[in-house]
Amino acid sequence: MIEIHNLTKQFENTRAVDEVSVEIKEKTVFGLIGTNGAGKSTVLRMIAGVIKPDEGTVAVDNMPVYDNVEAKKRLFFIADEPYFFVNSNARAMEKYYSGIYEAFDREEFYRYLEKFNLDKNRKISTFSKGMKKQLALLLGICAHTKYILCDETFDGLDPVMRQGIKSIFAKEMEERGLTPVIASHNLRELEDICDHVGLLHKGGVLLSRDLEDMKCNIQKVQCVFSAVEDELKALNGLEVLKKEQRGSLCTITVRSTREEVEARFATVDTIFYEVLPLSLEEIFISETEVVGYDIKKLILG
Amino acid sequence: MASAFLYTNCTITNSTLNIVGGGYNPQKGDVMIIIDYKDTRPIYEQVVERFKALILKGVMQPDEQLPSVRNLAMELSINPNTIQKAYTELERQDFIYTVKGRGSFVSGDGKLVETRRQECLEEILRLVREVLELGMTKMELTLEIEKMQV
Repeated sequence: MIEIHNLTKQFENTRAVDEVSVEIKEKTVFGLIGTNGAGKSTVLRMIAGVIKPDEGTVAVDNMPVYDNVEAKKRLFFIADEPYFFVNSNARAMEKYYSGIYEAFDREEFYRYLEKFNLDKNRKISTFSKGMKKQLALLLGICAHTKYILCDETFDGLDPVMRQGIKSIFAKEMEERGLTPVIASHNLRELEDICDHVGLLHKGGVLLSRDLEDMKCNIQKVQCVFSAVEDELKALNGLEVLKKEQRGSLCTITVRSTREEVEARFATVDTIFYEVLPLSLEEIFISETEVVGYDIKKLILG
Repeated sequence: MASAFLYTNCTITNSTLNIVGGGYNPQKGDVMIIIDYKDTRPIYEQVVERFKALILKGVMQPDEQLPSVRNLAMELSINPNTIQKAYTELERQDFIYTVKGRGSFVSGDGKLVETRRQECLEEILRLVREVLELGMTKMELTLEIEKMQV
């Protein structure tokens, strides 16, 4: 387990990470999402022990990370722009990493290189951006660490490669309990693979929940009420995150379970109502709108 | 509507299997399912429904083994926890049973089809009542049913 408690990091005048507390359980896929500049990369770097926190703690399997080889052995960090030694090729990087990570599986690495059509002798500087990310991922997977931290890694891969990597992750999760932590902007993708999602905004955690829970507790209802009193009666006591009205059609986003919403609406006279599931993207937008991160405000002033 | 089954020739799955290669062992009689990513329902719900359809239609026989969590996750490129959740739900609904160390299998009793028939019937009767209230006659309704090509 990775336990982050009140983690804080300040860069000059910017509080990049502000008292972040999050728990990352083993054998789950943890998704780290956030608005631009929210602090995702900084958090990942603190987990990896690359940056030292100003306040708070990061513990990997109950061990503090910073400058602690025992803890760092269990992590593999892939930066959003993976770094490779100048003039190196895949073989050279493999040599380097297998020297550091005891459990590095060399055979597996070369097998994957072939399957992904990456030339082990070719200079990495000639690889495309996507190929570099693929290589970094393969190095990380074959290092056989317990945790793999991916900073917007998937975002540069083509669809076939993405499916391939996800399959490998599935295999590694089942066979050796790999725990992936993935920071990404691609919410549709994260939605498909994450067990738990942490949403960061301006350095702070807006929410951190099981994806299932998150989706259970926020509902979108499209409805047409017979009369205004019915609307008031239905919404009374419910936490309404957003309400849009087009003519008589209301679209309401509430923080509530599906059962509670249906129970409410059963008691009220409506011409029509429908409870719709929310995508992770819609939840993200709703939650950040609540704290004022509203694109319409930004564009339309 | 669950597109019941296929013996995959889905390109993405094939390339994935090519890449992942070693370690994936399709079992004899493996029946595979497709996930519709555009569907906003949770993936595990889709997995549950696809298997239920396969079982109810008799494509999967009682005591037939389901793919292992690991294999299905690899094949579909999804989180194994999601598959596990689906299997747990299928077991909760008595569609499958699990033998520790061996895997999951389709339930043996014929009650499943009977239960589903009952569920469908109740739903149909509810709608029948509604359509009769809206002015349709039993005669018209019967005619519609006769016209159905099943």
